[in-house]
Amino acid sequence: MSVEHYHKLCNQYMGRAVRIRTHDGRVHHGIIRHVDRRRVYLEPIRSNRNLGGFGYGYYGYGYGFGFGIALGAIAGIALASLFFW
Amino acid sequence: MGHTYLDCLAVLGIGGAHPGGLKLTKEILSGEALDQSKSVLEIGCGTGQTSAYIAEHYGCHVVALDNSNIMLDKAKQRFATINSAVETIHGNVERLPFADDSFDFILSESVLSFTDIALSISECQRLLKQGGKLLMIEIVHEQPLSEKEEMKIKDFYGFSQLLSENGWVRLLRQGGFEQVSVEKHAIIFDEHDLKHATEFSPSENVSHEYFNILKEHEYLSNFYKDNLGYRIFRCSS
Repeated sequence: MSVEHYHKLCNQYMGRAVRIRTHDGRVHHGIIRHVDRRRVYLEPIRSNRNLGGFGYGYYGYGYGFGFGIALGAIAGIALASLFFW
Repeated sequence: MGHTYLDCLAVLGIGGAHPGGLKLTKEILSGEALDQSKSVLEIGCGTGQTSAYIAEHYGCHVVALDNSNIMLDKAKQRFATINSAVETIHGNVERLPFADDSFDFILSESVLSFTDIALSISECQRLLKQGGKLLMIEIVHEQPLSEKEEMKIKDFYGFSQLLSENGWVRLLRQGGFEQVSVEKHAIIFDEHDLKHATEFSPSENVSHEYFNILKEHEYLSNFYKDNLGYRIFRCSS
């Protein structure tokens, strides 16, 4: 999927919890707070569940929206609380 | 090519596209005697999330069938990454390409509503070994809808029929399943349950139209949330 499509998907699910896997193998968990042409910004979720790496410390917090992930770096995406028939 | 709800699920590669997702699937399976000696057919396997789970977790012989080549390709990619073998087959649920008495379990996770239900049920009955079980998660209407509303929902999703719980039980009995147990679960969203979040395995070029279908689906399922629900059916002869 292209940067454009991840942009659209992240926009559509603004405010929802998301798990993003990047091409470097990291997994990021957070609430989608903002999307621009190049990045999606997540507010990290603290969780009692053992969900793996959270990416804390690797991204600056100066954006005002949490940490940013380059849309081009996204290898996979999963969204919480979606429902399908 | 028309853009349908099922195309949308295929192109966006939605994993666990049924009520309750993989979490409910795990719960349902945990109540069954699945082990290495059992053969399982998953009809409408989609991206193969459930088939992969059964093969890995229970060691069953699993056959995964879908009528969408896009879905099957995504399922094959998934199966290539796990340590257990899953057989994939392209086919239609109304005419399943297997001999009689082939499987111990058949699993259908929100699949039959998209097919000719009576035909599909009798196919499942034909393929199950003696003592075999059909496990299904299917949409129901909780209260009768107006004809107009029902048409709208059926048209959008591509359902052949929209049945009540009793409607399902009646068709299952007619199709030869004499023992049908039904469970009702509420639709619960855990906003932060990322362990069971819905996976996307999108195709390379996704038409914008599919994002609109996704939106329309969310609107419809929210609008009719009091009228539409689902049941778990465990059926044997």
